[in-house]
Amino acid sequence: MEGDARGWTRRSTLALLPALGVAACARSVAAPAPLRLWAMSWEGDYSPLLMPAFTAATGIAVEVQSLPTTASHEKLLIATAGGALPDVFMLFNGWLTEFATIGAIAPVPDPSIVAGMFPGMLDATRVGGRDYAVPWSVAPQVNFYRRDLLAAVGYDAPPGDWPALRTMALKLKRRRPDDFVFLMLLNWPTALINILSQAGVRPLRDRDTRANFSTPEGQEAFAWYASIFADGLAPKALSTEVQDPVAAFAQGYFAIWPSGPVTLRDLAQRNVPKHLWSTARCAGPRGPGALSGESASLCVAATTGRPADAWALVRHLTSVESELHFQRAIGNLPANLHAWASPQLDQPVLAAFADQMRYPAPGPKVIEWEQIQLQVQFAAERVVRGVETIPQALAGLDTRVDRILAKRRALVEAGKLA
Amino acid sequence: MSARAAAQERTAWLFSAPVLAIILLVFVLPTALAMALSVTDYSIYALADWDNLRFVGLGNFVDLFTTPLFWRALGNTALFAVLGVPMAIGASLFTALLLDDVTVRWKPLWRVLLFAPYVTSIVATAVVWRFLFNERSGLINRLIGAVGIPPVDWLGDPHTSIPAILIFVTWKIFGYNMIVFTAALSAVPGDLMEAARLDGAGRWGRFRHVTLPAIGPTLLLAAVMSVAGFLQIFAEPYVMTLGGPAQSTTTILFFMFEEGFKWWNLGQASAVAFILFLMILALTLIQTRVGKRYEWL
Repeated sequence: MEGDARGWTRRSTLALLPALGVAACARSVAAPAPLRLWAMSWEGDYSPLLMPAFTAATGIAVEVQSLPTTASHEKLLIATAGGALPDVFMLFNGWLTEFATIGAIAPVPDPSIVAGMFPGMLDATRVGGRDYAVPWSVAPQVNFYRRDLLAAVGYDAPPGDWPALRTMALKLKRRRPDDFVFLMLLNWPTALINILSQAGVRPLRDRDTRANFSTPEGQEAFAWYASIFADGLAPKALSTEVQDPVAAFAQGYFAIWPSGPVTLRDLAQRNVPKHLWSTARCAGPRGPGALSGESASLCVAATTGRPADAWALVRHLTSVESELHFQRAIGNLPANLHAWASPQLDQPVLAAFADQMRYPAPGPKVIEWEQIQLQVQFAAERVVRGVETIPQALAGLDTRVDRILAKRRALVEAGKLA
Repeated sequence: MSARAAAQERTAWLFSAPVLAIILLVFVLPTALAMALSVTDYSIYALADWDNLRFVGLGNFVDLFTTPLFWRALGNTALFAVLGVPMAIGASLFTALLLDDVTVRWKPLWRVLLFAPYVTSIVATAVVWRFLFNERSGLINRLIGAVGIPPVDWLGDPHTSIPAILIFVTWKIFGYNMIVFTAALSAVPGDLMEAARLDGAGRWGRFRHVTLPAIGPTLLLAAVMSVAGFLQIFAEPYVMTLGGPAQSTTTILFFMFEEGFKWWNLGQASAVAFILFLMILALTLIQTRVGKRYEWL
């Protein structure tokens, strides 16, 4: 036993473990750490495809992390508070004001980085007169529709105004009573916000410090939305219930699906035959109008230690080649105008998008906009489920949104916020 | 106190010091900070600029009490607890009693199978259960359809969403208390049971007067833990329904999560946390008092 104590004992070996742990924390100094990029949706999954060209040209490795879209807002906020943001990350345009206000993102240092970008999208990335992000894609919603189902009731494409669309939808419903005409998920606000936008609702007033939903336009939009569900033209379903909308669309569970370019990739991946579907601009009360788009932009974190490398990566990701590569891979529509000269974008199913892109309607530039959109959706859901009437729901919505805006109102009135 | 006792006491403190330090650092300190946060209007504007932070006293609490969704969430949570605790404990006790019967064979196998849901990933099981609850193609609607009941839109109807989630939660967690009860049941004195049987006590009489007093303390523990657990229910509604439909499954903790981490109203969220803390504390005190009356503690 005496001899053992001087040699390897179980105790001394165990004591080495923490030492090993500490050693593992020490950073190796050989290679520079890769740049970090966070992106959501298909962009996150497919960004690694764009990296070999960048790494070959600059020698900088990039580590991509794909964030789930539904959890990305809180993840990015927490990363901001915790000082753990990556060098470059994707933001939906509606979140730019928020992240610029909390100082999470750096302003664009050189106007040439945003040269040639879609003007409507550039407006959306401007906060207080400065560019804070580089538009990556344009994503207005259009109506994806089943050509065969519409042809069966005598239509080539869904009509562009609400009364005619309704006539068509009722015909379709009579023909296929067990299925639906539209899919508008009751917890997914984009389609509803677009209806409000088409009806001419101006959601906020008084320098964006008060809600403005109890208006004739608000009534009209909510009445249209509610009538779709009341007539059984759309299922009263949440995103957690329609687990596979692509398959449901392919099976004819519904015929018209307001959705963004992301669906192009979904349909291609699931081999839904191309002759079965096409796209048309979303209908408005008196014909198609301006829509807000859930477009995505690229930002550089204010805290990055390598701004030059980070902006080089943004420049690469928004270049014509990368945009066209992404368009082929995931259906993303380029925000870079030069890319639209390519014959690759001359496809019939993209025509509706190209047309709609010329009429952007950006949402109010307030931090609370994301939260307000969800409140609009909750109010509409209460009407659809018969819990409240439209005037009650709109009045309640105004009250709740006024509460959400209370802090902003106080700051604006104190002159602390523009 | 002798020198030896003092030395022993020192050693005891030395051994508990690391744990006490950790409790202080990750429990007491954050709790105190959260309480401090609950009397401020810490929001995303404070994240932008500390000058925007204001002391609001009880303002957050007053605000909460006038927020309809807070009361809705409170009601939903109460419903989860009132229905869920008896459901979960009842299922655990029932299966434990079944497994305790001498005629049951392959007991370890049954225990493993019934315990398995507890240790599987909640997200994976929730996805499966969402398929089971599907209105059109779900297995549950097919089964009830076979006996002539019309299909139910389990997760889509605000009236059935809480029961549907409770069925899932009960299935998921009953295995844990079942194992605890199995252990407690093995301590039920066999000769007492035999004597009661000879004296003509029926099945219910034996359960009420022999089994129940023996497992009383365990039952109290299970009730305390279940109540605390159900008041903090979050993950199940989060993965099954995201708080919907029509906010019918928004619970206190879900409300707090959305306010705090999604919208960064951490002042308000801390106030919610404080209220929840007081609720759980009060209910636990009541339960201990009930336990003392029956001499289970």
